[in-house]
Amino acid sequence: CKKILDETPRATFTPDFFKTQAGVQGGITSLYGHLRYMYGNGYFINSNEAGTDEETWAQLADLNTKNIDFSGVGTVNPQTDNSGIVWNNNFPDINTASGVIENGAAVGISDALIAEARFFRSFDYFLLVQTFGGVPLDLGAGELKFNTSTARTSKRNTVPEVYTKAIFPDLLIAIDKLPTAPRVVGGVTKNVARLYLAKAYLTYGWWLQNPNNIPTYPDVARTDPAGHDAAYYFNQAYTVAAAGIESPTPYSLQASFYDVNVATNDRNNEVMLFADHTQSSAQYNGGDLSYSSGGFSTDNFASWFQQWNYTTITSSKTNSSWSGYSSVQRAATQPLGRPWTLLAPPQGVFKVTFADKLNDSRYDGTFVTRYRCNLKEAGYTGTTLYNANYLPIGEGDAVLSFLNDDVGGVDYTNSVYKSSVGAGVLPGRADFVIEPSNISRICYPGNFKLGPYRTDNNGGLGSPNGSSTRPFPVAKFSELFFIAAEAAVKGAATRAISGSYANDGTARGLINVIRARAGRWRFDNGNQVAKVQDNSAAIIAATPASIDINYILAERSREYFGEGYRWFDLVRTQKWTELSSSFVIAGKTNPNDWNDHTVGTFTRTILPMNYLKPIPQSQLDGLDMSPVDKKAYQNPGYN
Amino acid sequence: QNIKIQGRVLDPAGQSVPGASIRVKGTQNGVTTDANGNFQLSAPGNSTLEVSFIGYATQEKAVNNQTKITITLVSDTKTLQDVVVIGYGSQRRESVTGSVASISGANLNAVPSANIAQALQGRLAGVDVQQSSTKPGATAQIRIRGTRSINASNDPLIVLDGIPFAGTIADISPDDIKSVDILKDASATAIYGSRGSNGVVLITTRKGSTGQAPQISYNGYGMVKDVMKYQMMQSEQYLALRKRAGLYTAPGTDEDATGNTNTDWQDLFYRKPATTQNHDINVTGATSSKGTYKFGVGYYRDEAPIPLSQYNRISLRGSVDQEIGKYFRIGFTTNDNYSITDGANLGMYGVLNMSPLANPFNSDGSTKRLVVLPADQPWVYTRETLAALGDKYVNTTKDLASYNSAYVDMKIPGVEGLRYHLNLGGNIRTSNSGSYTGVGVFNTDPNNPNTASIGNSRTTQWTVENLLFYDKTFAQKHNLNVTALYSSEQTTYNASNISRKNIAGDSFQFYNLGQTSSGSNDDITIDPNNQAYNQSGLMSLMGRIIYTYDDRYLLTATYRRDASSRLATGHKWHDYPAVSIGWNINKESFMQNLSWVNSLKLRVGYGETSNQSVAPYATLGQLSVRPYNFGATNANGYYVTQLPNPDLGWEYSKTKNLGLDFSLFNNRLTGTAEAYITETDNLLLSVGLPATSGVSSYTGNVGSTSNKGFEITLNGVIINNKNGWTWEAGVNFYRNVNRITALASGQQQDVNNWLFVGHPLNVIYDYKKIGIWQASEAATVKQYEGPAGVPGMVKVLYTGTYNPDGSPTRNISAADQQVLDADPDFQGGFNTRVAYKAFDFSIVGAFVHGGILNSTLYGANGYLNLESGRAGQINIDYWTPDNPNAQFPDPASPKSSNNPKYGSTSGYFDASYMKIRAITLGYNVAGKWLKSAGIKKLHVYTTAQNPFIFFSPYYKLSKQDPEPNSYANDSSNMAVAYGSGQSRLLTVGYNTPSTRNYLLGLNVTF
Repeated sequence: CKKILDETPRATFTPDFFKTQAGVQGGITSLYGHLRYMYGNGYFINSNEAGTDEETWAQLADLNTKNIDFSGVGTVNPQTDNSGIVWNNNFPDINTASGVIENGAAVGISDALIAEARFFRSFDYFLLVQTFGGVPLDLGAGELKFNTSTARTSKRNTVPEVYTKAIFPDLLIAIDKLPTAPRVVGGVTKNVARLYLAKAYLTYGWWLQNPNNIPTYPDVARTDPAGHDAAYYFNQAYTVAAAGIESPTPYSLQASFYDVNVATNDRNNEVMLFADHTQSSAQYNGGDLSYSSGGFSTDNFASWFQQWNYTTITSSKTNSSWSGYSSVQRAATQPLGRPWTLLAPPQGVFKVTFADKLNDSRYDGTFVTRYRCNLKEAGYTGTTLYNANYLPIGEGDAVLSFLNDDVGGVDYTNSVYKSSVGAGVLPGRADFVIEPSNISRICYPGNFKLGPYRTDNNGGLGSPNGSSTRPFPVAKFSELFFIAAEAAVKGAATRAISGSYANDGTARGLINVIRARAGRWRFDNGNQVAKVQDNSAAIIAATPASIDINYILAERSREYFGEGYRWFDLVRTQKWTELSSSFVIAGKTNPNDWNDHTVGTFTRTILPMNYLKPIPQSQLDGLDMSPVDKKAYQNPGYN
Repeated sequence: QNIKIQGRVLDPAGQSVPGASIRVKGTQNGVTTDANGNFQLSAPGNSTLEVSFIGYATQEKAVNNQTKITITLVSDTKTLQDVVVIGYGSQRRESVTGSVASISGANLNAVPSANIAQALQGRLAGVDVQQSSTKPGATAQIRIRGTRSINASNDPLIVLDGIPFAGTIADISPDDIKSVDILKDASATAIYGSRGSNGVVLITTRKGSTGQAPQISYNGYGMVKDVMKYQMMQSEQYLALRKRAGLYTAPGTDEDATGNTNTDWQDLFYRKPATTQNHDINVTGATSSKGTYKFGVGYYRDEAPIPLSQYNRISLRGSVDQEIGKYFRIGFTTNDNYSITDGANLGMYGVLNMSPLANPFNSDGSTKRLVVLPADQPWVYTRETLAALGDKYVNTTKDLASYNSAYVDMKIPGVEGLRYHLNLGGNIRTSNSGSYTGVGVFNTDPNNPNTASIGNSRTTQWTVENLLFYDKTFAQKHNLNVTALYSSEQTTYNASNISRKNIAGDSFQFYNLGQTSSGSNDDITIDPNNQAYNQSGLMSLMGRIIYTYDDRYLLTATYRRDASSRLATGHKWHDYPAVSIGWNINKESFMQNLSWVNSLKLRVGYGETSNQSVAPYATLGQLSVRPYNFGATNANGYYVTQLPNPDLGWEYSKTKNLGLDFSLFNNRLTGTAEAYITETDNLLLSVGLPATSGVSSYTGNVGSTSNKGFEITLNGVIINNKNGWTWEAGVNFYRNVNRITALASGQQQDVNNWLFVGHPLNVIYDYKKIGIWQASEAATVKQYEGPAGVPGMVKVLYTGTYNPDGSPTRNISAADQQVLDADPDFQGGFNTRVAYKAFDFSIVGAFVHGGILNSTLYGANGYLNLESGRAGQINIDYWTPDNPNAQFPDPASPKSSNNPKYGSTSGYFDASYMKIRAITLGYNVAGKWLKSAGIKKLHVYTTAQNPFIFFSPYYKLSKQDPEPNSYANDSSNMAVAYGSGQSRLLTVGYNTPSTRNYLLGLNVTF
């Protein structure tokens, strides 16, 4: 009766499943699934926004944010899990992709499908090389091989090796083999691969050029193994991006900026790649639908970071004496959602980056500029509350507005009309108001683009504490214009662009396609009314004749504010220190005091070494290597 | 000259004792008492009578020419231990050469407990029992002589009436237990092979005895519980803390910032009072022809202080033994059990995180659904709100288990002393759980959809054991006992789980998951991680020889060969020997003059054991499932997280044991002292790989551990039935030093899993708190903590170098984290019993000295010590410039993930305590009416459980039980649980609160 010593698992897969067709297909699905550990994860947004000109720490920020704000409230260190997100999630994904690439053909998987794995392997390496510098290509079984070895050592390759051995070859094959139209909703295509190849060429060009003498690691000469120079790669970036713009199918620019980001238009064809989520199943959504704990997992909770505690706002139940009532309750709607108050945009965002709020629809489409009364959903028995100047407000009316500009004459005393959030009163206005110069770490416009959206609120407040069920954008068609424009600024030879987005192909011409779209309004988000208006002529006219890299970066901020692009953009262009070393925000005396409107100017000390993030401590702890070798493995300056 | 003596034997209650044996000392002359306890015999007037009866101390009584003698027996637990169960047999204690600790059922039940594990706590040297949960029906973790394995199981083998027990220890009613014998060293456990590598707990239940008149006994008790409340901040303190923290300056609309409202949420929540009751009826007796039977039924109900949370158990037991003819004996034992656990998912967080400023009541006296706090709107948990749920909430698990064994024992004709014995065991355990949460229940959103889930699991196990016994005495002095075994067993486990939303109505609960209200958006979930199947088998061959010469020289030698399905092909089989010798020194002629030495035995043993209890299929590697959706199309992704290991083999331990047993002063003082070393190699270890491997882990045979320790047990009879007084006392004391001696090749530490060479498995890896930065150190703190450093922060130990000016060369960083050993220095227990005539009074206690208790209530993981004023706050003495000597940091100091920086260090306490676990006062009711009612014995008692806790720094601060109540990875008892790498560690979390209990009990025998 030796049979009882045999083993037959019936409820779990062994790695052998990976050598079947279904297993390889499952491997590809998991490549898409791994996006969720980054895109939509609040700490990933945090790590790519905190410490930049787009965000600083907000009132409830902990050391996750403060340690990487460089403004004297913490110190970056390898324990910071935020940089571990990229490190810890991408190597397993690279291994899975290598497994698909190795096994795929043998079990009858098409080249097009295997190309999806090539795309993700290069996508992962591109994230890693931007974040940490050179990273290992050999996971234990040889360079770019599927690892089955239990060795616990590792050796980092150099930046040029990662680009030229892994990223470029995989993406070139991916462009060749991937389909034009996606295989599945959100599937990768030729153009997605073009976008990433163009961006990788651009980034590598900057790295070769190294204008601000930022160190790399492992230390290596800034020469290309293939013998090309930076200009070659800028030209390549332009060429590949231009090809994507000229044959956009199936992608296009949406008619208005609002349409790109409004939840009702999710999965529109401007968003080329996204980490998908679903409202129909917590299991497949990767996060609880009613209450999420928001850890380092697959929950989509990025929108909680740049949302302040708007539920503190009070209106009055009577119009004779102030009887406070929370008139804006937590709700699962795109402007609201769960407030964590961890990231706050400094005032420069509103005064400089988004200075034009009238022609350019992107301020209106990016920020929550009005917090509106939702007493009906909250089950309030009456229909009327009283707000600033004891003026009546009802369901859907603005309780608090962030003004476009400083107007003066605002009474912030809260002596009679107690907003509870330190907001001011203007004569004749029912809504409380806050001017840009009063935006603080505790009270600031939330990020509208990423907010939650559900179709099962059933007339109530819904489940604002649940994991977001919206797809989180990873890549947008519009970025091809920015990449080409940036390459052009860096000296790439330009040519006229033909097709739907025809332009002269200069940086200005390319950027103006994006700016023209920004000038076309369909809907006024702040006022919640239809607004069909075309300001594109005015906005194009305002584009400077000569576009420099700072203008590109400002324009990128207007287009992609708060979506997690910023740190990569500033590090690629080596402009992080220049653009982020100083910022202004209110609440200088006491950031916890709603009524503290004192404005402070804060400085950041960002060192060249910080352009590479620390290798997470868990990697070093897991290595079976000598302390000297481990120290050499870590990026310089972190210990 | 012989005189004729008429006598009577009485028990301590004054009842006559039938069947007691009386012997004239030094002769073969003896009689037994009749049904009324009377006897007659002839003996010399200057002789001494020896009176013995099972369960009572053997007494000597000088005749002194009296012709009428009354002898009152004194109950003696030691006599029960005269015979020790050793696995596939029993031995007289004086013949045992391995390390075996025993306790009688009567002694065990001195602490009334839901299960044996709880009852064993602090009772036996080297047997470390720690509670891992305080929920009703929860069992405890038993570790015998330390922890050997890191990832394989460390649980001892439970053997119930001779058959390995596959169920949970909660399925065995403690009332029914006759004795528990624990095999501690390798020479004792070798006979159980790999299953016994972590020690063996042999549980013997009561059976009838041959010739016994039928007897019915009832044991029962009722108990009320007094909650040890969690010490939360009251309004005044809370307001002060919130002000100091300055984060939530605007109170929630349901909060009363004046401080006039001071809601005691725990008081509104707990049951008043929670009770426990236990009833057990046993019938034992003998058939007319060499047979015995036992039948028992029990009911146990334990209510948690948390409303709707309770555990009910009905147990049914039976056994029959029958001799058939000259050669055959057969028997059958069944233990059946049905238990219902309700409300296990109800926790304390929703109660403890409430602001004391919030008023749960509307002005009309009704209870609010939610209260609005500064940042949260929690659902209101009170007795009333839970009671009002009715059909809107259910969480129940129903377990049905049946453990059965049968045997045939045959004397082989023609060979004297040779027997063949066949054991058959068949067990089945099913568990069915159902859960339903109605619309909006426990949720801020009143429209949150209802959810229901069902789960089913079944474990089946069979065992076949073929045994040959040979027992023979040669030339009067050579005694030989040989056992040979061939056995196989297999265990199969299967579990399924489904959940969905939008059930049609509350009445359906989880009973028909097909009944939906919406037809869409039902989120039907069959999570692959919640379905399971595994099967594992074990085959064994074993031989054991026990040889004694003249009761003086003792030898036990065992050889065993095991094969396990869990290990890789080619590595499934393993052989190991064990041998132990004993020397009964008191039997030597040179000891005969030392009459105060009744027995003295030296024992030495060496043995190997092995462990295979990794999860099945560990050799094969594993894929993990990653669910994803492509728009409306759901899909499952797969990726490799565990690599296969075709070389996975056995983990094995080598144990050396040295023991001394003694009995002195007319057996008034007995004791055992032992020392041991266990070295475990080729650990079955899940080796974590660095992220750059692309794979999380593999299971390998790497690393080693050692356990060294000593144990002392002393029992004394201080007053032996003097003027009706008897006083007995016992103490046990032990120390175990556990060390990891190696990890995977060259690795000195595995930080992710908190494993460090040279340290015990029970460690904490964290900064070491050395105080609080003081106002006078405002400049210094910035040198250590960087710009964020301010006075009032936790000061942790810096381990780096210093500049010439005395400042540190770097900031505090990960390099300053320490390995903090958390094992106690020593621990043990004590018990004492005083009897006076019909009264008896006993105390059972336990103590621990040293070690670290990790209370997440005070640390960072519990989220109850946020020091932010956002939600309920555990009561602490925090630092302010005016209160510089406080233990906890300033609420205004920097936060790390919501908690004060280094907040986890606030949760570490000295784990020492001494605890009175039970004080019992009993009375044996006597009187004529008893006899006329047919009652043989009536004992009433009252017990206070956990009445006193001493020498515990944690208790002093928290007024909480200083014992852990949660595993470190239990997310239901802390807001942020530790990872799976820390799952072996025990912590104090906000589990069901501990209680002091007061009970009244009754034992009656007809």
